[in-house]
Amino acid sequence: MSKVLTVIRKEYLERVRSKAFLVGTLLGPLFMALLVIGPTALGNLTRSQERTVAVLDLSGDVFEPLVEVLRKNEDNHVKLRRYETGPQAAAGVEELKARVLAKDVDAGLVIGADFFAQPQLTFYNTAVSAVVLRDETLRPALNEVLREERFQRAGVPADQREYILARSEWTTLQLSAAAEAAQSADVGIIAAITMVMIIYIMVLLYGQQNLTVVIEEKSSRMVEVLLSSLRPEQLLVGKVVGIGLAALTQVAIWTLAGFLVSVQGVAVAGAEISLTVFSPWLWLNFLVFFVMGYFLYASLYAGIGAMCNSVQDAQQFSMVLTMGMVIPILLMMVVIRAPDQPMATILSLVPFFSPILMFMRVTVSDPPIWQVVLSWLLLALTIWWANKAAGKLFRAGILLYGSSPTWKSLARALSR
Amino acid sequence: MANPAEIRELPAIGEPLLLVEGLSKRYGETLAVNDVSLRIPRGSIYGFLGPNGAGKTTTIRCLMDIILPDRGTMLLAGVALDRRRRDRIGYLPEERGLYRKMTCQDQLAYLAQLKGVPRRESQQRAWRWLERLELGSYAKSKVDNLSKGMQQKLQFAATFIFEPDLVILDEVFSGLDPLNIELMRDLILEQKQKGTTILFSTHMLAEAERLCDAVCLIEGGIKILDGSLAEVRAAFPFQMVRAVYRDGREPPADLPGVVDRRQDDGTWRFELAPGIDAQNMLAPLAAAGPLSLFAANRPTLSEIFLTAVRRQRESRTSDRSER
Repeated sequence: MSKVLTVIRKEYLERVRSKAFLVGTLLGPLFMALLVIGPTALGNLTRSQERTVAVLDLSGDVFEPLVEVLRKNEDNHVKLRRYETGPQAAAGVEELKARVLAKDVDAGLVIGADFFAQPQLTFYNTAVSAVVLRDETLRPALNEVLREERFQRAGVPADQREYILARSEWTTLQLSAAAEAAQSADVGIIAAITMVMIIYIMVLLYGQQNLTVVIEEKSSRMVEVLLSSLRPEQLLVGKVVGIGLAALTQVAIWTLAGFLVSVQGVAVAGAEISLTVFSPWLWLNFLVFFVMGYFLYASLYAGIGAMCNSVQDAQQFSMVLTMGMVIPILLMMVVIRAPDQPMATILSLVPFFSPILMFMRVTVSDPPIWQVVLSWLLLALTIWWANKAAGKLFRAGILLYGSSPTWKSLARALSR
Repeated sequence: MANPAEIRELPAIGEPLLLVEGLSKRYGETLAVNDVSLRIPRGSIYGFLGPNGAGKTTTIRCLMDIILPDRGTMLLAGVALDRRRRDRIGYLPEERGLYRKMTCQDQLAYLAQLKGVPRRESQQRAWRWLERLELGSYAKSKVDNLSKGMQQKLQFAATFIFEPDLVILDEVFSGLDPLNIELMRDLILEQKQKGTTILFSTHMLAEAERLCDAVCLIEGGIKILDGSLAEVRAAFPFQMVRAVYRDGREPPADLPGVVDRRQDDGTWRFELAPGIDAQNMLAPLAAAGPLSLFAANRPTLSEIFLTAVRRQRESRTSDRSER
């Protein structure tokens, strides 16, 4: 046992003292923030790019009100350029199309001759991205122009228009039996995705370190000296635990920092980041799925590493294993949309998926406790199997030099 | 001492420290080690000899529990080898390396701890060893910054740092330059003086002859002979004659008393039947032509080895033909 502790201590200190750990600890949250709120922030950034739209107003009555509405909405990232048409409408459309094709303008819009009776519009574009412009800017603005004109024609008094246009108002709060506090569902989703991403990235990052470390130990010919001092299983456990503790330390630092920030009350991308609203149940699951997910993948990565002589050799095997983490990320939206459907339930019980999917369900919904506990048990069983398998791979492969392994030799080592 | 509670009862000097009985290991079709028994006296340098692929490393790995033997018993000081006992055995494998990014002192300390030396003491011992090997100024540098020779010293230190009762050195001289071979030999002899028993495996028989007190020769997984150097020599009481003709001609084919003859590098070597005096050879050889060299000597270890292997093969084929 003390030998395992020696290995743990060495692997842990080696990692925690490294520059990479310091940099990772500092930059990790930044990276995570970019990953979670980045797409939204980036979206806002692109929307503000100015675009020019050529407008051919066949009715002649729409262009001015449209400009007016856009100005009123302070939507100034779209510039409209008006085109006049001669007696031949078709010729004007052809010219406009040519302009769009020549990229003089970003898009073209032809407003029907009898717009207020038959609101027909034709939109020309060369890039699919212009669709965003159509849907987010032009369509609502033209709808408003149409509405105002029709109110006018129908003689609706100004004070009733507001009343007619009223929308339902929503407040969304997520309730759960475990947590007394109600939290805003938006914050819930952001936090859930952040925590899932932490599990995903950390399990892969630190799990794969086991593979590289074992291969390094093999290629530096260190392994035989080590094996004369301790059993392969002890070496395996020492490594996996030591590296895992370093991962846990990093997450603990982030969590602590997160709590300190929450107390200060900091808002990112409009949502207040607050870790204090999470229930102990959720924290427990975060810890359980993080630790168990790490152990499952790390020991298998280490086993693969023991069979291989170079990282390149290992790639074909490790890729299949990595898939076990990537697939649930792809399935994440399915689970968020319908966290309690049979599909999500079954997927989240698959041990290789549950660190991501069951945890996702715990954060966005409130799955029955028996399901959560069942996934723990299944995971624990799989870890037990994975450790045995990794031990076999270790014994079979650790002194194997020269030939690169095949699926067949892997299977043979496992069936021993 | 690694563990103060542990009582190290060792046999007297000269009594067997390590006993191996009937060790066998099969890899698929090939029998890598075939019923090998060893008796390694305490305080000796024991040469475990044989050509490459003879089964030396396999035997050693079985001793260190790195691979599992199919059959056989292994006793250290009369007790079956287990993990705790193996903590008393140092092992320097042929394929040896170091953690390249670790400092010298940490490296030695880590390897000592893995053999059960307490943490604080392991650092002190590492420091003492580095000083002794004149690597003190490198204690805090990474192994990457060390020359090959320094790394060899470090590996050597790692093998001895926990004061083992038995040390197994597998092909310790392979890949070393003459200067480093000399250094290693001095270190090995120094450790022997301190009473450490050393199992020394090599395919370089000349080195073994200079260093070892007792030897075991194996070939094709089978033990050919073993015993102290004196015993081995006594078992092969023949003489060798070397001769070179000035004009490089071949010696006569019908020399009396010659059991085996071979030529290497222009020199003819004759193995004489036991009891035949080398002097008897001079006249018939000189009669055939002008000699530029005639020498008689007792066989070297490698000559004994070749003879023993030949006899073994002959007896095997005759066994087979009798059946």
